[in-house]
This record gives sequence, C-alpha cells and structure tokens, in this order.
Amino acid sequence: MLLPEKMSKILIVGSKDKLQETTEVLYNLALVHPIDFSEEEGLSLGSPFPSASDASQKLLKLRALEKDLEIEEANLAKKVPVGEVESKMTSTIDDLNAEVSGVVETKNQTQQRLAALENDKRLLVPLSSIPLDLDLYSGYDNIAVFTGAVRSDPEAALSAAVKKFEIFKSKNADFVAVFVAKPEAAEAQRVLVQNGYSEVVVPKGKGTPEQLIKNIELEEGEVKKALADAEDKITRLRSENRAMILASEEHLSIEVEKAEFPLRIATTKNAFAVDAWVPTKQVENVKKELDSKLGKSFHFEVLEVKSRKEVEHQGSEVEHEADVGTETPVKMGEKKPISMFNGFTELISTPKYNEIDPTNVIAITFPLFFGLMVGDVGYGTIFIALGYIGLKKVTTDDWRTISTMLFFGGIWSTIFGLFLFGEAFGMPFAPHGDELTWSSLLGTALPSSFDLGGISTPFGIYNKLTDVNKLLYLTVWIGIFHLFLGFFLGMFNIAMRHGIKHAIMEKFGWVLVLLGMAILLPVIIANLSNIMNIQFSSMAVIIPLVLIIIGMAISIMGEGVLSILELPGLLSNILSYTRLAAIGVSKAGLALAFNMIAIEMLAPMGGIGVVFGIVIFIVGHLAVLMLAIISAGIHGIRLHYVELFQKFYTGGGTKYSPLRVVRKYTSER
Amino acid sequence: MVEIGSGLVAIGAGLAIGLSGLAAGWAEKDIGSAAVGAIAENPKNFGRSLVMTVIPETIVIFGLVIAFLLMGKI
Repeated sequence: MLLPEKMSKILIVGSKDKLQETTEVLYNLALVHPIDFSEEEGLSLGSPFPSASDASQKLLKLRALEKDLEIEEANLAKKVPVGEVESKMTSTIDDLNAEVSGVVETKNQTQQRLAALENDKRLLVPLSSIPLDLDLYSGYDNIAVFTGAVRSDPEAALSAAVKKFEIFKSKNADFVAVFVAKPEAAEAQRVLVQNGYSEVVVPKGKGTPEQLIKNIELEEGEVKKALADAEDKITRLRSENRAMILASEEHLSIEVEKAEFPLRIATTKNAFAVDAWVPTKQVENVKKELDSKLGKSFHFEVLEVKSRKEVEHQGSEVEHEADVGTETPVKMGEKKPISMFNGFTELISTPKYNEIDPTNVIAITFPLFFGLMVGDVGYGTIFIALGYIGLKKVTTDDWRTISTMLFFGGIWSTIFGLFLFGEAFGMPFAPHGDELTWSSLLGTALPSSFDLGGISTPFGIYNKLTDVNKLLYLTVWIGIFHLFLGFFLGMFNIAMRHGIKHAIMEKFGWVLVLLGMAILLPVIIANLSNIMNIQFSSMAVIIPLVLIIIGMAISIMGEGVLSILELPGLLSNILSYTRLAAIGVSKAGLALAFNMIAIEMLAPMGGIGVVFGIVIFIVGHLAVLMLAIISAGIHGIRLHYVELFQKFYTGGGTKYSPLRVVRKYTSER
Repeated sequence: MVEIGSGLVAIGAGLAIGLSGLAAGWAEKDIGSAAVGAIAENPKNFGRSLVMTVIPETIVIFGLVIAFLLMGKI
C-alpha cells in the first residue's frame, strides 16, 4: 500500500486486579501502541507492579557484574530458555557476585602493587651505576651529599673550587654522587649547577641498588603472576557465564518494562483504562484475544477509526493538522523489497499518517538513479556481490540500508552498463572511435549487439565521454518526469487531507508550469547556439508560455504572490538532475585516465611495467569504486530528499511501536 | 594550431567549473560545520543535515552544464 496502514483508537477498561494479566496479554499480542497518559482530573498514573523493585535491584547487580567482567553485547548462537533463566538467575547472581568481587579486588590490589614497584625501580635505576650501599648516602653530621644527573663531568671544576670532596661517577659521567664537607657545600652546589646538575632523590633502604633492583624484579614476577591468575579467572568467569548473564539481563529488563507499564496508563482507585492505537485490520483479533484470556471482566471499545482527512476547526486549522498527521502512529510497510528502503525514509523522518509513504518512490527511482550514475558492468557486478554479502551477513540497520542500495543499485548499474553505455571498468566493449576498448585489449571482436528472436539490442548506445550533451538532455527529461511524479503525489496528499479544490490550488498550478517548461525545452535546446533565433510567434513557444502563465496565476491565487519566487527554484530543480550525467561522465573520465596509464603507457614497457600497470589498474579502480559509492549514493538520495520530497513530503509522524517483547538471548518455553 | 578563440572558450569552460566549485565549497563549509554540530547533538538530524549540506552543490552542476555547452562551441 502507498499509504500507511489504517489505525483505530481503542479503549480498554478493567478492574485493577486484572491489570497484570492484561499487560501480559497486550505484550504477547505485539499489536497495541499505547497512548501515554498525562494526568487529568479524577484519574492518575498507575503505580508499578510490586515485582518491579526486586527486578530493578537484581538488574543493578547484574549490570555491575557485566562491567566487572567486561561483558559486551554479542551475537550468541545459543539462546537460554526463559525457564532456566528464572530458576537459576537468583543463585547465579549471588554466587557470581561473591566470586567476582573477590577476584576483581585481587586484580586491583596487584595492579596497585605493581605500579608501586615500578616506581621504586625507576628511582633506583640511575643509582645502580654507582657501587655504593643506599644507607651510605645519608646519616652524616658534617658531610653534605649531592646525587643527581649532570650534563658535563664536574670533577675538574670541583677540584679547583672545593678543597675536600669525594666523587663517584657513572661510566659516562652523566650521573654523580658528591660527598663534601658541610662548610663547602654551597660552593660545591654552585659548581655542580654550572655543570647542569639536577637532583635525584635517594630512596631509603639497605644494600646496593643493584641488589635492591633484583629483589624488586623478583617480587614483580610474583605480582605479575598473581595478576595474570586474576585475569585468567575473570576471563574464565566471563566465558562461562556470559550467556547466562546476558540472558538474565534481558529477562529482567523485560520484567521491569512490563512491571512499569502502569506508569503509562490512567488508573482510579479500583480500575484502569488503556488508550491505544491498533491497526484497524487487527482490532477484532485484539478483542478476541482479550476475550479468550480475560473472560468478560473488561470493557473494550473502538473510539474511532482514524480518518486521514484534516477536520477543519474554526481558527485552529494549523494546530489540528499537526494533530491528525503526527499523533496517529505510522506503521512503515513491511513488504520486501520496498521495505528494505525504509531506512532512507527514516533518515529524514517518519511519514505522517495522512501522506503517501515516500519509500515506495525511493525504492523504485533511487536504484535507477544510482545505476545511471555508475552505468558500468564491472562496477555493477562488484556492487551486486558486495550488497548481497552485506544483506546476508550484516545485522545493523544502517549497514543493511547501504547494502540494499549497493545490491539494487548494482543491478541497474549492470543493466545500464550493458545496454546503455556498453562498458566495463571505464572501457567500452566495442570502439566508437579509436579509443581503448575491450575488443582491442582482448584481441577479439566482441559482439556489438544482443540478438534475441530477431530483435537486436545494441551493447552501448551512448559513450559517456563523447555523448555528454545527449546525456545531459536525457537527464533533464528524467528530472522533469520525476518532478511530475512529485507534484502528483503532492496533489494526492492534499486532496486526501483537504479535498480536491485545495489540491488544485496548491499543486496543479505547478504541474502546468512544469508542463510548459517541458514543452519549451526542445525549442530552447534546438536553438541553444543562438537564442535569438527562437520564433516567439510560433505555437511551440506560445502554448508553453500560456501554460506557465496560467499555472503561475493558479499558484498565486492558492499560495500568494510570493510563489513567484519559487519559479526559478523549479528551474534549478530540473537542472539539478543533470548531475546524473555529470557524475557518470566524471567517473568515466577518471577510469579512462587510470586505464590509459596502466594499459597504454605502462604495460607495453614489459617486465616491471606490467607489474606497475596491474597495480595502477587495481588501485585506480578501487578509488573510482569508492568514489562511485559515495557520490552516486549521496547524489542519488539527495535528488529524492531535496528535489522530490519538497513537492509532496512533510514527515514528522510518530513511529508505530507496539508493546512487545524482543528476545535476543533468551527463548520462550 | 588551435585558434585563439577556441582557447578562450576552453578557458571560459574551465572558469565556469572552477569558480562555481569554489563558490559551492564556500557555501557548503558553513552549512557543513553547523550540520556536524547538529548531528553531534542528536544523530537523528543526520538526514536533514545531509540535505541542507548538499543544497549548494547545485551551483557546481550549473557550472558544469555551462562548461559542456561552451565546449560544444569549440
């Protein structure tokens, strides 16, 4: 269907003691989109079921466990049955909590100890070049000790300035320990500073630094082993319990969500009321299911089957329009392959309830545009393969959307590449002039047409580089048809909301203008070299001008004088479609350049030239391939978003999200 | 020997593409940076931001069309 599915507003009223049962039924149905209740007189929000607080507490513990064990979302092959989760969850959480907190604490302590040892070692390393015990550096009454790094050897300068001193140096004299009588300490320090002295603090302790470092390294080994043990244990715990923890978390999240459902609905002291949207087709099913599960102990009522027409209230038309279109949830289509393009519509926004779902248009014309811009058998087949692999393997929505584009775009690229352009990897099959072709490369004449039962379809009608003007002309026509489509869809939307009269006033004027421009186009193209040659008295010019003037008059009546300003906009919309040709041409130019370098310049050199030629060929075409994805993808979708959507699409609807349970790690029963 | 007139037409075509490319880039840079900000705030803005960002690209397309028309005159 072009329009979003018809929705009905329902009301379910029951006594409060049945609320939990009702919640279960609604979640199992997966069809009911509840309307969040905001407080009114006499009614209040419900309070969560008692099970919520217990489940929330367990969830808190579980998430702490997940953090400690570094468990992340994953694709697990095996699902845990709900029964198993329920029976084992509590004991698993408690046992694991005790075990994990012990291991994590050990891990943290060993890490801290390791850091402390590293620090001690760092201080000792420079001292190890001097063969003195650590306790010899301190504890003197009359001797000052300087230890530290120096830039140049201070011994000569010291012996000149200080009478009594003793110096110990490292091998290359960049570290010194100087012992001086205290009265001369200031003088010695001055000399040392002149030699670039910077002090190093001597740690307390006994024995030579070398001995101490050895001891530290011994301890480090032990601590590292303990750390590795702790980490092994964590890894073991993680792999043993991952499935159960993820399953429990999922189970508890579902429990909490269900238990908090009363927060979304209206209640009184003894009763509850659920306002909700249900697809009109499913209303009977919902009622039947409730009947069979709950007996007769509730009241069910269809409040309205939502019409798509905007009801005009006096003075508040605008406000009300937002109401109808945006409040009713919109269920996006689910029929493949069109639904595979839903992501492109969602990127802008969800359609409103009373407008055509633009996915239907995107699904048809976007791959066509993509294919026209790429238009190459070589790239096309690669895109089909990439898209196919993507659709098989990838699970995230964004990448699936891109894979969809590549797959369907690739199909059209191959078709256009075969029949419209007749080329693969930027090289035509058969010569149009004297350029490089697959025929000349392979040394055989490839068939120039495809014969089927007497009908001959040529391989390649246009050459991208020599028929540029024809391609530009062709794409302008594509643009005009695409915009016609947009205006007609816009008329349909407005007719549905406000009636035919509004639709004609708002959009039909523009249809006439566009028609006028379309008729005028061949005249302008024919006289492009000299615009002055156009015969203004001929019918081919008068008819379109009259159409444009009538169209403008209708638009001005419908939308006001300012709509004149949109006329150049329409012209630029049409010209904007020439990018379909421009991108194809620029890509063909790039590919041609790489082919010429690789095949005509490098390959004939033989030997190393062939190797370089192959490298250039592969790298070059990979680059073109990437550019093709980016430019063809973005420009193709942009033509829809900017040029087409302006003509009919508003968006801003609410997405249909019924109460339901989505299980990834657990399975029911 | 290429005629001077043809050379001038070719230069004109080059200017049409080059200058309109510069213009589009200049216009797009501000929109682009604002768009990145909007997306950082709410990733849902991606689609709309993309649309806003590529609006000035039409300028280059105009330049390109003019360039092709000029090249047709050589």
